Amino acid sequence: MIHLITGGVGSGKSGYAEQQIVELGDGERIYLATMAAKDDESRMRIEKHRERRRGLNFTTIEKPTRLGEVEVPAGSNVLLECVSNLLANEMFMPGQSGIHSVNAVIDGIEHLDRQCANLVIVTNEVFSDGVQYGNMTHIYMEFLGLINQHLGRMSDLVTEVVYGIPVPVKRPGHPEVSL
Amino acid sequence: MILVVGGAFQGKYKFANEKLNIRDGWADGDDCQFSDICRCRAIQHFHRYVKRAMESHYDLTGLAAKLREKNPDITILTNELGSGVVPADQFDRMYRDELGRVCEELAAEADEVYRVICGIGMIIKKKAAD
Repeated sequence: MIHLITGGVGSGKSGYAEQQIVELGDGERIYLATMAAKDDESRMRIEKHRERRRGLNFTTIEKPTRLGEVEVPAGSNVLLECVSNLLANEMFMPGQSGIHSVNAVIDGIEHLDRQCANLVIVTNEVFSDGVQYGNMTHIYMEFLGLINQHLGRMSDLVTEVVYGIPVPVKRPGHPEVSL
Repeated sequence: MILVVGGAFQGKYKFANEKLNIRDGWADGDDCQFSDICRCRAIQHFHRYVKRAMESHYDLTGLAAKLREKNPDITILTNELGSGVVPADQFDRMYRDELGRVCEELAAEADEVYRVICGIGMIIKKKAAD
């Protein structure tokens, strides 16, 4: 089962995503962290997320790029956080996937999905501010939009989180276009 | 009239193609005139039409009512762009306000409004059949 969770920054999507993994029961819990600890700010963010996961029995794997190389235990429940960071790392870290980042991210996620029982994926809404950014940021937004569309298609559940409130976008048994 | 809204790069055009079955008769807000909007089946990048119209000081007042009269079956795809910080540039601020105002009129006029996120369209308004 794949559950795609999206929302703005500070929407509460991380907390909701953790709760979804916990509700899946006793299967081994893997937290796949994509943020690279490159400065004080990222270290602080990482610590905040670690604090919230404390006591939830997650095994953390840190992997800022190349999810195709990650091995997780068969039958585990994996929380991938988050696609927007992963894409930025693939695109902008030297020697990574660059212009081929869309396929690298999608292939990596499909590689994970083949190994685990359930995959909860956190992504990000960065598409509604109407600002014309420079070239690279524009390409980054387009790439993230393409990845999100692909993940929306392959997911069983899609949820947008608004200040902690889960808004269902896609649910099994419901037509995709629903009121 | 059908309105399809959503952030940039969410798959609105693909959604309209595949789910609303609009394969041809498209105008593009990048280069169309108002006369094209009055006779096309659907328009994509409507927000860019609004921007161009404002750049040439074209009055957009009453646009939704004009479309109801001239092209009541049109499908309009537009970006949602009101969720950022107030832009530093005055024109950008006016553009954002004006697009919001026009889209509000269109949404009020529309029989159906869809919001597309991650490629998935959710219907957020459906007029009851007469």
